[in-house]
Amino acid sequence: MSALLLVLLGLPLAGAALLWLLPVVLGDRIAALVGTVVSGLVLVGSAVLGYRWLNPGSPAGTQQADSVPATDLPAYDGPGRAAAMLGDTNVPWLPALDVRFHVGVDAVSLPLIVLSALLVLLCCVYSLRITPQAGRMRSLVALLLIIETGVIGTFSALDLVLFFIFFEVVLIPMWLVIDIWGDHHDRAGRRLAANRFVLMTVLGSAVMLIGFLLVHAESGTFDLVALAANPVPGGTGVPLTAAILIAVGLAVKMPIWPLHIWLPDAHAKAPTVGSVLLAGLLLKLGSYGMVRILLPVLPDAMVEIAPYLAGFSVIAIVLGSLACLAQTDVKRLIAYSSVGHMGFIGLGIATMSAVGVTGALFANIAHGVITGLLFFLAGAIKDRHDTSDLRLIGRALYARLPRIGALLTFACLASLGLPGLAGFWGEMLALLGAYEPNEALPRATFLTLMVIAGVGTVLTAAYFLRLVRNLCQGDPAQYPSTTFAVDLSRIELVTWTPLIVLTVLLGLWPALLIDRWVLL
Amino acid sequence: MNITSTDWQAAAVPLILALTAIAVLIADSLRPPKPSQDDDTPADAPGRRRAHLVATVLSAAGIVAALVGTVLLRDEQLVAFCREAVEGPPECSLVVEPLTIGLWAVIVAGGLGVVLLSAYGLLDGRVPPGEYHFLLLCALCGGTVLAGGRDLATMVIALELVSLPSFAMVALRRDRRGSEAAVKAFLVSVLSTAVMLFGISYLYGLTGSLHLSTVTARLAAIDADEQRVALAAGLFVLVGFGFKIAAVPFHAWLPDTYVGAPVEVTAFLAVVSKSAGVAGLVVVTTQGLSTQALDLRIAIAVVAAVTMTVGNLAALRQVEAVRLLAWSSIGQLGFLLAPLAANDVRAVVAYLAAYAVVTLGAFGVVAVVQRHRPGGLLSDYRGMVRTEPGVGAALVFFLVVLAGLPPGLVGLFTKFAAFQAVVDADLGWLAGVMAVNVMIGLAVYLRWVAELFRLPVDEPFSVDVETPAVAVIGTCAGAAVVLSVLPAAVFALAG
Repeated sequence: MSALLLVLLGLPLAGAALLWLLPVVLGDRIAALVGTVVSGLVLVGSAVLGYRWLNPGSPAGTQQADSVPATDLPAYDGPGRAAAMLGDTNVPWLPALDVRFHVGVDAVSLPLIVLSALLVLLCCVYSLRITPQAGRMRSLVALLLIIETGVIGTFSALDLVLFFIFFEVVLIPMWLVIDIWGDHHDRAGRRLAANRFVLMTVLGSAVMLIGFLLVHAESGTFDLVALAANPVPGGTGVPLTAAILIAVGLAVKMPIWPLHIWLPDAHAKAPTVGSVLLAGLLLKLGSYGMVRILLPVLPDAMVEIAPYLAGFSVIAIVLGSLACLAQTDVKRLIAYSSVGHMGFIGLGIATMSAVGVTGALFANIAHGVITGLLFFLAGAIKDRHDTSDLRLIGRALYARLPRIGALLTFACLASLGLPGLAGFWGEMLALLGAYEPNEALPRATFLTLMVIAGVGTVLTAAYFLRLVRNLCQGDPAQYPSTTFAVDLSRIELVTWTPLIVLTVLLGLWPALLIDRWVLL
Repeated sequence: MNITSTDWQAAAVPLILALTAIAVLIADSLRPPKPSQDDDTPADAPGRRRAHLVATVLSAAGIVAALVGTVLLRDEQLVAFCREAVEGPPECSLVVEPLTIGLWAVIVAGGLGVVLLSAYGLLDGRVPPGEYHFLLLCALCGGTVLAGGRDLATMVIALELVSLPSFAMVALRRDRRGSEAAVKAFLVSVLSTAVMLFGISYLYGLTGSLHLSTVTARLAAIDADEQRVALAAGLFVLVGFGFKIAAVPFHAWLPDTYVGAPVEVTAFLAVVSKSAGVAGLVVVTTQGLSTQALDLRIAIAVVAAVTMTVGNLAALRQVEAVRLLAWSSIGQLGFLLAPLAANDVRAVVAYLAAYAVVTLGAFGVVAVVQRHRPGGLLSDYRGMVRTEPGVGAALVFFLVVLAGLPPGLVGLFTKFAAFQAVVDADLGWLAGVMAVNVMIGLAVYLRWVAELFRLPVDEPFSVDVETPAVAVIGTCAGAAVVLSVLPAAVFALAG
């Protein structure tokens, strides 16, 4: 069992190495195919892992180690800690510094791992037909696979240092993806966007590392299972400093206002597959880290910083939505909408209640699926018009590109939180959590924040409907429909169908995930 | 001074290096007289090549022997050149202990790398091979003595034994840039020696001894007024070492000297010379001057913070490869000094080892490129990942290790250890400065990495890379990869 998780981590790396060993010409031709096969295998593997998790009676289930009895848990613990770890591998790596290679998965990380495998697979499938202008597919697919390893590794790391390492693995590959394959009209802009992304994130993770070291100085271990069993007590002094540093580091990645300034450019300039992975996966590393590290390891200190986290999250919701109203670029608009959605996730985590954290975890998955779809659609529109500027694209997409226009409307509705689609449950639960936060938190503050966040949902609806109105509707006579030969190509249909299905499925049957998170 | 006991095993490694140096000089003088006075005439080429081969093989053999000796001594605890002390245990001038072994391993292995690199670069240069290797071995000998030395007189002499050959090596090419670079380094070095001797004379006046152990013991007993003198003396010694290792604000000589010297000599300065200086500083601070009466930790911490910030910021603006490496080596030095301020020797030696391996590798690549593109601009490296995949990928890996990001895990772990040492020593502000510098450092190296990954333009760099260069670059890359997977090895160096 533990071998399966290690294979999931090693397989994409092996795929990347294989691609780089191929000659350039051959490599460029079959890169997407190799990537599809490799990431397909990873998806199958993660599905098997998920299946074993659901059926603990299978022999592998007996290997679960170091579980904490759920009855010991105080009410505000995130679900992350209640579960036993599956696929546990725990070997010393660097004894001199107390670093261990400790990985394992539970209900919190498994859905994210499956989501990662799925999104990377879809990106590879998409690349079979649709490629950025810069070419060099061999390197692009190899870098996507390395990102996959980094993301899955972060979601399964059970040692703080290992978490930090996997957290950093994605940086240079994503920097290259934005810098080389980004917007081919704006060389300087994409270089700036890539640099801003990588430098802000690396500063954030260095700050986070100092927090980890403070945790180690207080507790004497980096092991997350041990730390979850014996959290660092105290809400002042060193634990508080550690919590602030870790929260800031994760907030850069997530990102939470005002640390989001790298995000709009990075998403807007990245190629389609880069945007999908950035929004769908990389942002989740931050929110996952909060649930996995801050809540269980530093509970007392988290109580101190939670109101501030919630406050900044709500500012992110409102300002992100307002910024969306002012955008003229479709990719930047979706990027800013991510700021707002990640704000809901931050708010859910900050409530420190079972409902709120569950909502945050659900919103994590839902945002990955829906925003992945939105960025695919934005990429498709951008490729067809050779620009992502709304004023240049014009209106009347319903007439000119009926299927893509309809899908865009569908994705926007899902993203604004229409009941019955995936985006609804997470944000609803996050708001519900804010209505009744953990007893240790000031309820009045959270009620106020809940109301403001509620205003944010209205604004979200406003800018998405404005997008639909400005892009899809309008008089087709002004915008000739003959410009584009293809409305929805077959490869796009194949790539997007899983995301559409998941959006509907998670919207109609949220218990599929929520029931797995033990505490609700 | 009556020397009462000496374990010659302890002195074996420096002795091997010294004897090899003499052997190289003799072998070089035995070569047949030159047909003309001018070294550069083509007629002399076969003779030159033979002389170069002999010198390379001899010094490589000597250094390998020294490396083997270091490995054999790894679990020993030996002393040499001891005499009875008035009080306490005997005072010994040369000590072999785990710290010494770790430093020796870095210095000697770095020396071997430079010899191999020179086998590539000097084949057609204007540098006389015999003299070059003699000077290199002398400096190595000085470096090993410095790492093992435990009295201030021995250490000053050893430091001079490292420095003086360095200037000669910088100027060996006998052109204008080389001479200017050498004079700059020489003047700074003389000044720094004077400053250091000044401090040492104060320490001697206060304690009546030059042996580090005795100095430490007696410093504990001095009164408050004398403590102030001791602090000033300690700072003078620190400043002396600061010049040698080019810590800010004593760094101004370094970039010009690095650029003016032949690439192999620059590699020597950046790897061997700098390791030796750091070794001396480690020994002096941890064995002698780091007491309650004389706490230099804060001074070192401030120097570390300023050094890394200035070095990295200046490196951001460089457009020449060697100048970028020169400034970034100042930045790296700051990271080296940070754990020293926290008295964590293990982290210092581990960082030094990782730095030495990848710096040597990076200079190997620079040597290859500059041989065909003497300009030495960063833009010369454009597209190398595609046109020269092996060398290009190796350079990317070296730079990523220097930046301390995955996949360069050995760089990440040594930076991590530095952070850990600093955080555990309650130097939170220094940890903050280090975090910012991780970001600036990454920005520095990414500029170069970006050039490597860009699509090649009109005249891509593509050559047949000669075997010695492949050997050096390959060895360094292999070592860096192995150490990235098994980082425990670098942390085992200092025991």
